[in-house]
Amino acid sequence: MQVTLKIFRFNPETDKKPSYKTYQVEAQPTDRVLDLLEYIKSTIDGTLSFRRSCAHGICGSDAMRINGRNRLACKALVKDLGNRITVEPLLGMRVLKDMIVDMEPFFENYRQVMPYFINDEPPPARERLQSIEERERFDDTTKCILCAACTTSCPSFWANEKYVGPAAIVNAHRFIFDSRDRAGKERLDILNGQFGVYRCHTIFNCTDACPREIQVTKAIGEVKAAIATGKLD
Amino acid sequence: MRSRSVQPAFSFEYIMWIFMRISGLALILLAIAGVSGAFIMGARTQVDLPTLMRWTFFPNPNHVINSEIPDVAVGWATAYWQVMQMLIIFFAVTHGFNGLRNVIEDYTDKTLLQPFVRGLIFLLWLFALIVSIYVILAS
Repeated sequence: MQVTLKIFRFNPETDKKPSYKTYQVEAQPTDRVLDLLEYIKSTIDGTLSFRRSCAHGICGSDAMRINGRNRLACKALVKDLGNRITVEPLLGMRVLKDMIVDMEPFFENYRQVMPYFINDEPPPARERLQSIEERERFDDTTKCILCAACTTSCPSFWANEKYVGPAAIVNAHRFIFDSRDRAGKERLDILNGQFGVYRCHTIFNCTDACPREIQVTKAIGEVKAAIATGKLD
Repeated sequence: MRSRSVQPAFSFEYIMWIFMRISGLALILLAIAGVSGAFIMGARTQVDLPTLMRWTFFPNPNHVINSEIPDVAVGWATAYWQVMQMLIIFFAVTHGFNGLRNVIEDYTDKTLLQPFVRGLIFLLWLFALIVSIYVILAS
């Protein structure tokens, strides 16, 4: 089938303003948008820039706006999108070139919530044991691949990039509710601040955008409840 | 499973977050009570929509006298309606000014400007409340 791709183009070294370029490519219905971008880059226009790494929905490099929704280019199939596809960079972050955005504000927010295991108690002789139920408690939020699809679909983040954003809260959730972790209080204090969880207005854009189908808004709600009640179970 | 808990954390942002939800609900209930009161006291057949809205959201006796319905000011000038007016004003003004604070703080840094803007918003909020309560009690 013939597919018309309308692609956002911006090169800060030569362009004053971003523009859209249209490309006609021959595609199979089972092709992914990433395949079409690779085809354009290798055969039509080598200056087209985008991030990609594993191309299997795990590394989270190729999140972009496809037909107006945040998706991973490696998971978006042509048959689900039709023969007219618009590809744009993620919203709310500075465009460096074409589909490549400056991810630093996103990672700065991510680092704020201390997204790593903290426990100063002396380790037991073997491992820190955890029951199946305790592991299950934060299973959903372990799936995050930091693609930024959720955070850049959030109007609160568009309004102010200092808002920690859904992805950072999801990663805080992963450790707050981990029975082995001991820094829940510190993380909750961070998320209880001016740019913490209260910027979330529960519009569910993040849940819709997540390519890993994490229940992001639910996780944010659980963190809000933990702040109010102090219960980390 | 060992129960884990920490001290519940309270902050200004947390309190305002709760307040925004409670005040939103309260405003809807107060508006329903206001519309019902206006209808019961004569708005049903005799006033236009703007007058009805004025009665609903700020039904002080002056507003009522200025509309075309005679002899209803007495009905509004009771302690019950004065308290209702004050509640509407308190919830609406505080809800609105907190929203304004959030919007302004999106565009101001955490430098000297932010405490100044917060102080200014607080004073404006206080001024609006005092003037409104004065109008309610003095009219």
